[in-house]
Amino acid sequence: MRKTRRFKVSNPILKLFLWLYMCISLYPLVYLIFYSLKTNDEIFNTNPFGIPTSFQWDNYVRAVHAFDVLLYMKNSAFVSVISVAGILLFSLTFAYASARMEWRLRKLASTYMIVGLFVPGATTLIPLAILLKHLHLINTFGALIIPYIAGNLSFSILIFYGFFRTIPKEMEESAFIDGAGIYRTFARIILPLVIPAFTVVLILSFIGVWNEFTIANTFISSQKLKTLPIGLIFFSGTHFTDWGAMGASLVIASIPVIVIYVLFSEQIERALTVGSAVK
Amino acid sequence: MKHGMASRSAVLIFTLPAILLFTVFVMYPLAQTFYRSFFDWDGLTPGTFIFLDNFKEILHDPIFYTSLYNGLFFAVILTIFQFVLGSFLAFALYDHKIFGKKLLRISYFIPVILSVTVVCQLWMSIYSSQYGLLNKIFESIGISYRQDWLSDSHLAIFAVISVAGWQSMGFMFALIYTAIKSVPEHYFEAAKLEGATKFQIHTKITIPLLAETYRMCLMFSVVGGLNAYGQVVLMTNGGPGTSTATLTFAMFRSAYSLDRFGYGCATAVMLVLECLICILIINKLVARERITF
Repeated sequence: MRKTRRFKVSNPILKLFLWLYMCISLYPLVYLIFYSLKTNDEIFNTNPFGIPTSFQWDNYVRAVHAFDVLLYMKNSAFVSVISVAGILLFSLTFAYASARMEWRLRKLASTYMIVGLFVPGATTLIPLAILLKHLHLINTFGALIIPYIAGNLSFSILIFYGFFRTIPKEMEESAFIDGAGIYRTFARIILPLVIPAFTVVLILSFIGVWNEFTIANTFISSQKLKTLPIGLIFFSGTHFTDWGAMGASLVIASIPVIVIYVLFSEQIERALTVGSAVK
Repeated sequence: MKHGMASRSAVLIFTLPAILLFTVFVMYPLAQTFYRSFFDWDGLTPGTFIFLDNFKEILHDPIFYTSLYNGLFFAVILTIFQFVLGSFLAFALYDHKIFGKKLLRISYFIPVILSVTVVCQLWMSIYSSQYGLLNKIFESIGISYRQDWLSDSHLAIFAVISVAGWQSMGFMFALIYTAIKSVPEHYFEAAKLEGATKFQIHTKITIPLLAETYRMCLMFSVVGGLNAYGQVVLMTNGGPGTSTATLTFAMFRSAYSLDRFGYGCATAVMLVLECLICILIINKLVARERITF
């Protein structure tokens, strides 16, 4: 009987392993933060592992002034905000229409949009490059924003669609009986209800777009338009030596997503359950 | 729902923007990839129709086989790494009363949210032969074993996969962990009363219940591995030689370095087919019944 009462076991080796993997997961980042505050001499020779002996805030000043980190960040922020707004708007409206309205081809249209989940993104890039060139969008933010919106619709629609099916239809019906139109009902009744799913799509698509590498690397070469993931390529074949400022740039670039994650970790966890439930 | 809500204009306004964007910028390029794989095409001129010649050439292209092998190798190692470690950590964390559960969960997940560039630049500094953390660790414990991790044609692919694994393990962990938590406690009651051990309960009850989650994880990690690109471009650029080239990498190389867009499209078609075959196999292997609690 004792066994059933204390179901949670306690195995010190397993516990140790859990903590050990935390170190493996975090120490590289700690190492990064440490070396972003060290001199080259400390990083390379005297103190590669530990806490900086004196904090070299100068590295951060150089990251901002010499490496354009703030410009890349501004570009990333602009592209991410517009893309996420577009993703939210178009996927929310589509999911609403496909979950709540009666129209012919409804099933077909929903299936068609969801198929996008199974298209490996990179396989469309060669024709996409030609298309964007014909539209004169190469080396503009449009070459990022439009593919980001189009490419994220399937997943977002899936999340919204799953969510709409959990809301009782009576909510809108009473509004219609009271004589409210479709747009009014959508804005007044539906939008407030949908906030949990809205947050989930907002966070996941923001992190995805903020970090997107392949499309940005293919369609943007202008220094002025680079987003963080392509602006921060320091080591590429050549030997790069200003590690302190590089580390500082990497740290600055990661702060927004880490802050968002720590603030919304509960919602992200819920999002994973939502995502796995609808699939 | 027979109110006026299904008015044609409302449906169009709500659905058309999404359908148009998706069609023009995802499905049309995908169709083009298939269509253009039958062309000798440099991306500028209309190109000439050569039907299956690109595919015939691919089947004799040593780079194709190397990339195919590397992609599969990448997928297999990444999947094993993520599955074993992700499941192990998820079950261990679920079973234990341990201080700082939330801290552990967050710290496993943090690499997932970082940009691939940040992660790769960080790991390149760790792998650096002269100044890198890894060689410094060997040095400080008095082992003379030092490696030029990313320039060795045998080690490089492991070095790249480790980074991909390090970064994405947290995602698998989180999926498995949330799935275990959603299994109602009473499923275990009977087994507990019968005196089953933790290990028996998990292998006989929990893991079968998680079939759906495992199927999804398997698809994510296999397809992710086959499509590996960012880490490869950033860390080794396919090298040394072609020892870390993947199909996505080969596709970009054909299109942008060799100006052979048609051949690149044919490579992309092979990648799509490969992913489809893997998804079909996974669906066959893992039970498809939906389990609802």
